[in-house]
Amino acid sequence: MRNLRIVSICLLLLIVVGVSVAQEQRKEIYVYTDSDTNISDWWTNVIIPGFEAAHPEYDVVLTIVRGVGGGNADLAGRALAALETGDDPQVDYFETIGVDSVKEWVDAGLFLEITEENVPNIANVVEATNRLPQEIPYRGSQVLLAYDSEFVAEDEVPTTYAELIEWINAHPGEFVYNRPDRGGSGAAMVTRAIFEVTGQDPSLFVPGEFEAELVDQFPKAWELLGSIHESIYEEGSYPAGNTPVLELFANGSVHMITAWSDQALQAMNNGLLPETTKLTQLQDLPFTGGYAYSAIPSNAGNVEGALALANYVLSPEVQEAVVESIGGFPAISWEGLPAELQTQFSDVITETVPTWPGGDYGAAMVEGWYNNVATNIDPASD
Amino acid sequence: MTTLQTSPPSSAWSRWRGAILAYVLVAPPLLLMVLLIFIPALQSIVRTLTIDVEGQSGFSFSRYVAFFNDPISVSNLVFTFQIVFLTLIIIFIVCFPLAIYLRFAQGRIAAAVQILVLFPLFVPGIILCYALIRFLGTRGTLDTVLSIFGVTEYRTPYLKPDAIIIGLVWESIPFTVLVLTAGLRQISDSLIESARDVGAGDWTIFRRIILPLITRPVLIAFSLNFLGIFGSYTVPYLLGPAAPQMMGVFMQQTFGQYRRPDDAETQAVITFLICSLVGLLYVRTVASQRIQQEDE
Repeated sequence: MRNLRIVSICLLLLIVVGVSVAQEQRKEIYVYTDSDTNISDWWTNVIIPGFEAAHPEYDVVLTIVRGVGGGNADLAGRALAALETGDDPQVDYFETIGVDSVKEWVDAGLFLEITEENVPNIANVVEATNRLPQEIPYRGSQVLLAYDSEFVAEDEVPTTYAELIEWINAHPGEFVYNRPDRGGSGAAMVTRAIFEVTGQDPSLFVPGEFEAELVDQFPKAWELLGSIHESIYEEGSYPAGNTPVLELFANGSVHMITAWSDQALQAMNNGLLPETTKLTQLQDLPFTGGYAYSAIPSNAGNVEGALALANYVLSPEVQEAVVESIGGFPAISWEGLPAELQTQFSDVITETVPTWPGGDYGAAMVEGWYNNVATNIDPASD
Repeated sequence: MTTLQTSPPSSAWSRWRGAILAYVLVAPPLLLMVLLIFIPALQSIVRTLTIDVEGQSGFSFSRYVAFFNDPISVSNLVFTFQIVFLTLIIIFIVCFPLAIYLRFAQGRIAAAVQILVLFPLFVPGIILCYALIRFLGTRGTLDTVLSIFGVTEYRTPYLKPDAIIIGLVWESIPFTVLVLTAGLRQISDSLIESARDVGAGDWTIFRRIILPLITRPVLIAFSLNFLGIFGSYTVPYLLGPAAPQMMGVFMQQTFGQYRRPDDAETQAVITFLICSLVGLLYVRTVASQRIQQEDE
């Protein structure tokens, strides 16, 4: 009886050792994503088959944790726990994660620093991505102007914010943006007004900080946006989302809108927008945007595979797909992409991608807009 | 309840048992109500009436004074009342004839109308909103059809108060018609026939017999619709203007976007108090019906 017990314990130990040895050499790359369906579909249908064809030695296992608890952040928590105990976190690659969003992750060195040595293609990533050493920016999106060239003459297309305001007032009812809290495309119109009145310097707005002096200047932005209120679609009607704005543009109710590059490009590719639709970006200071950053846990069980995957997503091949399949912006310079694609998007290519800090600034922005621009109640009558 | 009524009054114990059983049966919902609605509501009311002065809490109306001194809050509250009453008036104008028709008509067409009337019950609010945007919007279905007939001055109600009313009326039709038809069915045919025998016309029958007998269903439809419309969110948010806003949208905005939970709480308590007044009307209407039925 006792012998049996010893034998079974030995067997169990053997299995455990065997499994962990197998893990050391495993070829699977565990990728986790909590992004929208368009991104997870794109990984399943384009990136993973492409990568496995180029690297037959690896097997990518994609797990979608969108809407499950904290998404990727929960798995990063698991990776941190594994780092402390020296276990395999069973995560090799986060499709998107804010590597500095939790202090413990930074302190523990949870994420691997990406250099030209371990990911050669990181050298091609543009400055505008403003990446931390652990971040792998690989796709971007920016708000821009979409207009119908059938109704907007080429020489009339605004190139600065001041010209845009002028154009809107000269063409009442032909422009629309959504409420700033209901979608980034409308928010960009409002934040750009704030940047306009604070000296066109987005770097003044630091995330996590709150400068009352800056907020004191917001009323000038309300004045600016109030000056076009009556000229907005249906004398100041603001839809409640990015999609309703695109719909108004699609059915010809308006001829110019602010739109997310990826949503506009995807709608254009699917033939949902007028064929004469063109995209353009302001030349003085572009609208806000942002990049998605991937990261690799430093204790990943398959670091080598993860690094190979990172290098692959930054290859011109995948970066081209970022533009063509999901309508995003590439993270590498446009020069690295086919000339044909460059001319097609020449009007929207920008090296600067301003960001809006949100937080308390965001609350002040939204409330100020609702109380001053949307209501159009004269503040003096309070 | 049944045990209570059928048990013979001879045994005091069995009467007691019946009473206890009745209380045990109503306890879970009652407990849920108290724990999840009454206590939090009471806490909110108390919180909105207290202020912190140098670490000491005192009684104050300051939050309400602030609410009623803010032109935007007041305009949102007034706007909510306007939408609610306009919607209710239109609901009754639309639903009364429908209910009377469904009560007295028979045959295939009536059955078809019945199905059509109930149809909105099965359409989720968000789907309705997007359908209405497509239907009522600029260059939408209605606009296109009108322009075929040469009407080009169509102005879309989308993102205006009118669109909220259209959406809410559409959503409220099935419930209102159901309540009104149920009320009308309680009026027996013989009553109307005998009135007709003594020479009463249609109008007299409606005014002297039908109207007095369906006051209660009308009150029920009024109060329940009032509550639903006053607190509505999806329709005013997707179809209505950015400003003014109905209270539901305004509260969410204040809480989630402006990050001012205290003010959102004050708005919620004001909304709650208004709605509880109408709730009281409903409870009284139903209770008086119960008492009357027991008397009968």
